[in-house]
Amino acid sequence: MPPVSANELTDAELILRTGDGDRGAFEVLYRRYSRPVFGLALRRLGDRGRAEDAVQETFASIWRAARTYKPERGPGGPWLYAVARNAIVDRSRARSETPVETPEEESLAAGPPEEAESNWIAWRVHRALEELSPNERSVIELAYWSGLSQSEVAESLGIPLGTVKTRTRAALARLADVLEEELG
Amino acid sequence: MTPDFRELVGDDLPEEERARLEQVHDLLVAAGPPPELPPGIAELESEPENVVPLPRRRAGALLAIAAAIAVIAVVGGYVAGRAGNGQFPAVKSLPMHGTAIAQTASATIDLGDVDQSGNWPLRVELRNLPRLPRGAYYEMYLTRHGKPAASCGTFVTSGTSSTVRLNAPYSLRHYDGWVVTRHLPGSHRDPVVLTT
Repeated sequence: MPPVSANELTDAELILRTGDGDRGAFEVLYRRYSRPVFGLALRRLGDRGRAEDAVQETFASIWRAARTYKPERGPGGPWLYAVARNAIVDRSRARSETPVETPEEESLAAGPPEEAESNWIAWRVHRALEELSPNERSVIELAYWSGLSQSEVAESLGIPLGTVKTRTRAALARLADVLEEELG
Repeated sequence: MTPDFRELVGDDLPEEERARLEQVHDLLVAAGPPPELPPGIAELESEPENVVPLPRRRAGALLAIAAAIAVIAVVGGYVAGRAGNGQFPAVKSLPMHGTAIAQTASATIDLGDVDQSGNWPLRVELRNLPRLPRGAYYEMYLTRHGKPAASCGTFVTSGTSSTVRLNAPYSLRHYDGWVVTRHLPGSHRDPVVLTT
């Protein structure tokens, strides 16, 4: 098997290689998914420390379960989401078993359908953001989550307004491509 | 505040492409910002083999999976933490060195874990930073493109070694380093004395 070329393999290919014990493939998966996993864990557990633990457990589960992945049953992204969700649910159940926890925290393990939908959207989008170049990512983050206008983004980054618009369009188009490929 | 899609992309896109990008726009709005990663998790991206001891809090969880996943021990930097000296729970440490105007100075930034509000606590151990005249002070900045961009606080020193506690209420991924500048009364020049 040739060496892993980091960012050119699909998630499914990386999972298959991980199942064969390819550490490099596993590390690429880690780079792609550590932020979405951490985000999902943080939303469901509400605690950064426990979310970090859940990240660790999720990637341990991925390493262990990778050889059970069947590409003919679907793309890699949803499989990874299912593994992460299960690891995080296990973590939230473990949390609810400790005597100091309040009863309502058990509901974190289930969650209503709209919460599940919201988590899935965030997972996909945050995963796709990992594919952007640093320049593209900066304009998206500043435009969407810093409350800055396009002019203010330009000023903040020290680049012309036209460049901000060009990068924003390019970033949105790239995200569209990634989101389409992921489920394709 | 949700950005205006038309302001973002303009009006001159073909209708099909415009619709495609607007779907992404809606997803970005629905998803919200990605979380700021704890430094330990982010660390793998640059230094996958730089394993540091696990903090005691993590030890139990890791023991549970250690047998199943030897590779995690190599990747283990992502849950890295450093108890550090004293009681400061550092999750990452960064060295700083003196510039030409403070050649013997150095420092270590201990970065604590970000709190729920987005504050990154800092403990900075300073060495050989010259004592300043009355009214003067040092200021630590996060840098963007190597230039001071966001202040993390001011301080003074009183001896050959000092430790100060500061705070960085910012999303660190928007910055590329740290500097300390010197501010003298009546001077418009604020030279950098320490840099990462």
